[in-house]
Amino acid sequence: MSRTARIRLFWGAAAVIAALYTMACLRLPHFGTAVHPYGDRAVAATLRQRTANTISSINFDQRAFDTLGEESILFGAVLGATALLRRTSHDHNTRPRPVRVLPSTRLFGALLLPVALLTGIYIVAHGQLSPGGGFQGGVVLATALHLAYVAADYRALQRIRPRELLDQADAVAAGAFTVLGLAGLVAGVAYLQNVLPLGTFNTLSSGGLVPVINAAVGIEVASGVIVVLAYFLDQTLFATGPAGGAFRKKAER
Amino acid sequence: MTAAQLLPLAVAVPLLGAVTLALAGRLLPRLGCDILATAWASADVVLLAGLWHCSSRGTQVNWVGAWKPTGGEGVGIVLVGDRIGIGLALLITVLILAALLYAWRFFEEPPAGHRGTFPALILLFEAGMCGFALTGDLFNAFVFFELMGAVAYALTGYHVEDPRPLQGALTFGVINSLAAYCSLMGIALLYARTGELGMAQIGRHLAGHSADALIVVAFVLVLTGLLVKGAMAPFHFWLPDAHAVAPTPVCMLLSGVMVELGVYGAARVYWTLFSGPGGIPAHAMRDVLTSTGVVTALLGAVMCWQQRHIKRMLAFSTISHVGLFLVGISLLSPQGVTGTALYVAGHAGVKAALFALTGVLLDQHGSVDEHSLYGRARELRRSAGIMFVLGALALAGLPPFGTGLGKALTEHAAGEFLGWLPAVFVLTSAITGATVLRTAARVFTGAGGRPDATAGAQTRGDHEEPEVRDPGRPVPAPMLVVPALLLAGSLVLGLLPGPVTALTRAGQLFTSRAAYLAAVGLAPTNQPAMPVVTPVAPPVVWTGEGIALGLLSTILAAALAATALWGPALQGAAAHRLRGLAAAVTQRLVAPLRSLHSGRLGDNAVWLATGVAVLLVAFSTLVQP
Repeated sequence: MSRTARIRLFWGAAAVIAALYTMACLRLPHFGTAVHPYGDRAVAATLRQRTANTISSINFDQRAFDTLGEESILFGAVLGATALLRRTSHDHNTRPRPVRVLPSTRLFGALLLPVALLTGIYIVAHGQLSPGGGFQGGVVLATALHLAYVAADYRALQRIRPRELLDQADAVAAGAFTVLGLAGLVAGVAYLQNVLPLGTFNTLSSGGLVPVINAAVGIEVASGVIVVLAYFLDQTLFATGPAGGAFRKKAER
Repeated sequence: MTAAQLLPLAVAVPLLGAVTLALAGRLLPRLGCDILATAWASADVVLLAGLWHCSSRGTQVNWVGAWKPTGGEGVGIVLVGDRIGIGLALLITVLILAALLYAWRFFEEPPAGHRGTFPALILLFEAGMCGFALTGDLFNAFVFFELMGAVAYALTGYHVEDPRPLQGALTFGVINSLAAYCSLMGIALLYARTGELGMAQIGRHLAGHSADALIVVAFVLVLTGLLVKGAMAPFHFWLPDAHAVAPTPVCMLLSGVMVELGVYGAARVYWTLFSGPGGIPAHAMRDVLTSTGVVTALLGAVMCWQQRHIKRMLAFSTISHVGLFLVGISLLSPQGVTGTALYVAGHAGVKAALFALTGVLLDQHGSVDEHSLYGRARELRRSAGIMFVLGALALAGLPPFGTGLGKALTEHAAGEFLGWLPAVFVLTSAITGATVLRTAARVFTGAGGRPDATAGAQTRGDHEEPEVRDPGRPVPAPMLVVPALLLAGSLVLGLLPGPVTALTRAGQLFTSRAAYLAAVGLAPTNQPAMPVVTPVAPPVVWTGEGIALGLLSTILAAALAATALWGPALQGAAAHRLRGLAAAVTQRLVAPLRSLHSGRLGDNAVWLATGVAVLLVAFSTLVQP
């Protein structure tokens, strides 16, 4: 197809889709009404399960099976990155070199890194009580570690990043979710059924299985994101040859 | 513990397997990883075989986490194991086991420390596909759909030494992700209208509203994601590019069952969500999907005939067969579903075997190009050669292969709807069978004239990287045993009455919306919540008509292959005129078609948008509120 034909065909199709999609959206229930059938049922179920954060109750209890699939996608992404970004005989690797940074930047990074880590742990740990949870907290934890790269250099990140351990932690946490689901079957009830005592509403130990699964997801997300980023950073910064090296010049500053 | 309680294990077992392999791959040698992977895959086959056995007593239903609705209102996810769903999951597990066994001696030594990565990805793929086959929840289906997609992109690009697999995987990933966004938007529209995510629940709520623009748009958008994976024309452009470059064991899975899952998803979504009042009327579904199915089948067959890259050829043959499957389900009859289910199962065995045998050629001769392999695989003719020919004949629908029986049942059902549809079945399966037969004759016996190895601007197959660099090694036993077993499996499906009997009942259950609603405990309020008993029609096995049409397409395939091999050498004025005619047809009709398959990502995305627009217009016109 020629370029003009392609563009014309696309705009024709896009116009039809846009027109019909707009017509469909005009048929949606009006914004801001009081009718929320699923929301009402989910909140009621959340309160019955003595979990303060409805989102976490949906993610890790009511629709935990969805989350099992989603965290498996992340696990699959880590494995996929391992497979696709593996070193081949064509790649030549260079070693990261120290980079000069302003002392104030370095100091700021050193101060903020533990604070950011603590924030991440807090967000994961309170997932069953307040906004946040394993997914969000995990990303905060992973970002916190990369402050070392932003505020210092790649060598600093490598020193504080136990890559092999995180790779294994990712797999173990992904497996933990699946195994926690089996607890229900062992107890003779349904898979992923919330079999732990529900505790007192609005305390750290409330919600039964929710905080446990939430913690497993937090560990998986944090280590998974760090490992995936590690593969990409290695590839873009230090591998030359057919696959990598595109950004190398830039990275060497 | 009941069978229904074990349904989630169809997902949990391969997930755990993937985790153990990712961990054990650091410690175990290669053989250990292979044994471990095979053990996990076997465990899942045993589990699904058990569930299949139990499903004869009725549909197995599991509310995950025991979130069973009270008074018809709930928040949880339901798994519904009817015979079609469980049967498909069983097919998935069997093919996964076959692919893992085949891969035992297939790859080069994987990188130390990551020996478990490939089998772990395969097991995650299995978890995604099984989850998709068994779930009764629309959003949950989307999640598992994404899981199998994400893993499939990585598996397609596994040979990172070569840039082409990465390009193929990228096209596959981008087009399928765009389509997945369409599905997600459709799910959002349905959720906004009904406040439900369960398939049966959404279907029940649609009855309170007439079918308006929202329903039509939501239906088309949800269907887009499924049919892009199902490679319906014009959504099929990603498939040959991905299949040509993926490692052979992955091709076996992609062509054997993943593409067919898209068609299954479309049928499931139609029957549970949209087949009732307030949904999409049957005539609209039938008209649109039958016509696109016929176009897909013909297009795939014509393109298949044109290929010399054997993997691309098999990929186009899959597209052609998917077109026939689409026609089968769009008949909206129990017989259509039964025939298609059997056709899919038989096709999975045959197509996986053909890909496996192509892997043998790649392994031994470092090429998958029909022309440059001319006569080079003579030493394999007694093993791989015979199987390749059997695969070609089975693809054409030779009785008593499972493909033949599935084709016979489906085309009989199709003939009752439109008299000329069986002709499409006979013609397209003859063309795809003939192409594979032509290849087998050239490669394994050197039949016909030596093809011009440089002719035409085509995708050649002689620059593929061999997957193992060890020239002169004998063919590893699993690489011949696995295709033999797969072909035998396809034969058994057509010979034994058991599968047909089971699938006849399964087809009736699958097309009964009331039975599905009753199974998940959402029987219409004015009816008692008891299983709906439909009269059991006696299963039809081989009929005279079916055998005759199967033989006809096989003979047609042999004749076409013979024409391709020896036609160019024929003397005489008539032969000369016919050759001129064939060249003119190729020039006028086929060349433009080929040039559409440019493989450019931009073109593929435009075809996706065009397909969505056409489907939207077609369904909006046919559905009158």
